[in-house]
Amino acid sequence: MGFWPFSKKPSKDVAKQRLQVILKYDRAGLPPNAVDAIKNAILNALKDFPFVDVSGIKINFPQDEQEEKIELEIPVKTEK
Amino acid sequence: MEDKVFCITSGKGGVGKSTITGNIATALAMKGYKVVAIDADIGLRNLDLILGLENRIVYDIVHVIEGVCPPEKALVKDKKTKNLFLLPAAQTKDKSAVKPEDLISIVEALREKFDFIFIDSPAGIEEGFKTAVAPADSVLVVTNPEMASIRDADRVTGLCEAMGKPEPKLIVNRLDPVKVKRGDMLDVEDVLQILGLELIGVVPEDKNMVAYINRGQPAVFEDSSIAGKALRNIAERILGKEIPFMKLDAGEGLLSKFKRLLGGS
Repeated sequence: MGFWPFSKKPSKDVAKQRLQVILKYDRAGLPPNAVDAIKNAILNALKDFPFVDVSGIKINFPQDEQEEKIELEIPVKTEK
Repeated sequence: MEDKVFCITSGKGGVGKSTITGNIATALAMKGYKVVAIDADIGLRNLDLILGLENRIVYDIVHVIEGVCPPEKALVKDKKTKNLFLLPAAQTKDKSAVKPEDLISIVEALREKFDFIFIDSPAGIEEGFKTAVAPADSVLVVTNPEMASIRDADRVTGLCEAMGKPEPKLIVNRLDPVKVKRGDMLDVEDVLQILGLELIGVVPEDKNMVAYINRGQPAVFEDSSIAGKALRNIAERILGKEIPFMKLDAGEGLLSKFKRLLGGS
């Protein structure tokens, strides 16, 4: 397909990707912006703690797990 | 207990529930099984049109519930297909006229006299849907390979499970192999990955479907109809036979032929 100069991602792949995210949130009964909203709130709450590496905070809503959970990773700044 | 009572539902409207219900019921009756199709879409009667029985209706499901007549008397016998009967929806009432316990008792009254009972559910996820699903041993969820319909199919699947029903089986309707090949329609495998349901049928887009409905002649009668064949296959799978899914080829379109000539894939 690479030869064809106008080829972009097929719309069905976009649909599939969007649906997988939408259904993950629908099934969990979460609003679609839940993860972003939680991340923003946590960044706000932790920004005053000097020992927290705010730039390294990760929040993840795994697609493939049975258990519905939002994972949060807060790295601590260590003295080098 | 073998599954005898099937509810065909979808969440979204217009995906082909009634057409599929009418055709599967007809296909099984053609094979000699005694079948009743119940139109549970109260106020929006449609299954009678698919079967070409609209002029023969005397009583409807609400008459049965009101005690005007017993369920057997309200059944419309199909003249074209021996062994096929329709219990029509009421056209002038609304969905609140039939409660889950009403449909359960009608189905119980008919269960021993028929080999199969198919319930055509209304669209939506409210009372009418819950009524249609309530008596079912098995639920068949119909989806088209497009976003809104798939999302709604997932929603009704969750609701069926919450009602204690076994996991629904999936019918993908109106699959257009040309659009799939072009990359503009989700393929069956994509839909299965997204929904995670067991597949029981794939019905391809068939340009003659409107004509079959115009004539009140279900597609399963037509040997030349590819959708009719797919629908007959669903009936066979309901009977427990292992029928492989049809290969749906798009053929080579002009554009891909052109690309190939230019040296692309």
